[in-house]
Amino acid sequence: MDYFQLMGFSADGWGHDMLRATGMTVAVAFIGFAVGLIFGCLGAAASFSNAHALRLAAAAYTTALRGIPDLLVIYLFYFGSSSVISGIAALFGSQGFVGAPAFLTGALAIGVVSGANQTQVLRGAVLALNKGEVEAGRAYGMGPLLLFRRIILPQAARYALPGVGNVWQLVMKESALISVIGLVELMRQAQVGAGSTRQPFSFYLTAAGLYLLITFASGQAFRLAEARTMRGLRRGI
Amino acid sequence: MPNVVRAAAVSLSGIRKNFGPLEVLHGVSLTAHEGDVVSILGSSGSGKSTLLRCVNMLEVPNSGNVSIMGEEISLDQRPGRAPRPADPKQVNKLRERAAMVFQSFNLWSHLTILQNVMEAPLHVQGRHRNECRAEAEALLERVGIAAKRNSYPSELSGGQQQRAAIARALAMRPDVLLFDEPTSALDPELVGEVLKVIRDLAAEGRTMLIVTHEMAFARDVSTRTVFLHQGLITEEGPTSEMFANPRSDRFRQFLRRDGASSH
Ligand SMILES: Nc1ncnc2c1ncn2[C@@H]1O[C@H](COP(=O)(O)OP(=O)(O)O)[C@@H](O)[C@H]1O
Repeated sequence: MDYFQLMGFSADGWGHDMLRATGMTVAVAFIGFAVGLIFGCLGAAASFSNAHALRLAAAAYTTALRGIPDLLVIYLFYFGSSSVISGIAALFGSQGFVGAPAFLTGALAIGVVSGANQTQVLRGAVLALNKGEVEAGRAYGMGPLLLFRRIILPQAARYALPGVGNVWQLVMKESALISVIGLVELMRQAQVGAGSTRQPFSFYLTAAGLYLLITFASGQAFRLAEARTMRGLRRGI
Repeated sequence: MPNVVRAAAVSLSGIRKNFGPLEVLHGVSLTAHEGDVVSILGSSGSGKSTLLRCVNMLEVPNSGNVSIMGEEISLDQRPGRAPRPADPKQVNKLRERAAMVFQSFNLWSHLTILQNVMEAPLHVQGRHRNECRAEAEALLERVGIAAKRNSYPSELSGGQQQRAAIARALAMRPDVLLFDEPTSALDPELVGEVLKVIRDLAAEGRTMLIVTHEMAFARDVSTRTVFLHQGLITEEGPTSEMFANPRSDRFRQFLRRDGASSH
């Protein structure tokens, strides 16, 4: 079989499987990214809180997750939630190991890991805000919500977007780690194909191409978004 | 001038303000009636900006009270904690009546000049978009930068930005204008164009409080002058009298020292 038959969409080609796996990679990365954004917002908000305990928690979160390998976090989430689920199943008479849903635990693990990065990015964006412009918002009668929506968010977005884009690229690549807990995403699918056809190079090369395609497309999207939020900023800043 | 009783537009009484252990205002009282143009003078660090910022609660006084157009701002000044407005909504309402122009302009950099001027009328006051736009365009015309309405603040000179900021203040239809060193951040050749706009506003009888280092301007434009020294008012009165006949040594010294630089 030549390469195009191998990756083709005929009955014995792998095209459908590779595409489905690509979709799975995008899906798990996207959910993980979204969860990370939520954790990042909470982390950044906590880091600016007046409550000492919250600031401490935010610092502990970012420090801990920078120190633990991401793969280990995925294992901790998977086996942690699996043992909880197994324990519950045992109450209902089941015996032995019950695996946690790989998609959910994987997305959650990636979310927690990338949330630590997002916390730093969002913190930086808030610190970069022009205090005088925020003060002008208050002086012109804006309440906290209006101030956030009309002044803080659009201004923080332009400082945050480049960093947020980087985190997304990282999340994309880290989603490959979820293959270790059995989710059939692009990495896992390539391994399976490589193993069963004994043409590993074709599969890994295809996977690499597909990863590049996703990061290229999302990179373009981020660039457009950045151009939108950068309006009004002096060039070169 | 006919001797009509004018209402107090801004009234400060017994204002004390601390920053941490440092008290920078030691009980300042000041009333601006409608139509008054009050210059607040004093050497740097005497508390002028802090006093002005107490009017719209950007700084909350530790004791004393503030009224705008006869309405007193209710404050929570219990000892042992940071003072704060008792009712943030009331403060936001009163901020619409006393619009501030800042030393560093503080235009919103992500909005065009026109959007800057429309922002508060539209989103804070909830007025109609068409009405806000028409009024904003008229105001930009008036301060002479209508041609820049679709530019962003960073594309304008400092003088143009400050004129836009004045239009932004006027767009709220405020009862009082607060100027916090409006020309101190400008290159000398741009000061004149901003002072001219403020002068025109004074001429139409607007109530204004102006913190400034431009002595000649203060002398020309303001009806009353307040001289602040180390957090206390040392001298105040009608501008012409105070400049012609300074009573306190402090103010006399201040005028003498400044005379060289501003004439
Ligand atoms: N936010 C602040 N925190 C601490 N100290 C401040 C703050 N704002 C002003 N001050 C201090 O208060 C004093 C008066 O400042 P300011 O009102 O700006 O004086 P002026 O406007 O007359 O130059 C100065 O000593 C200044 O350092």
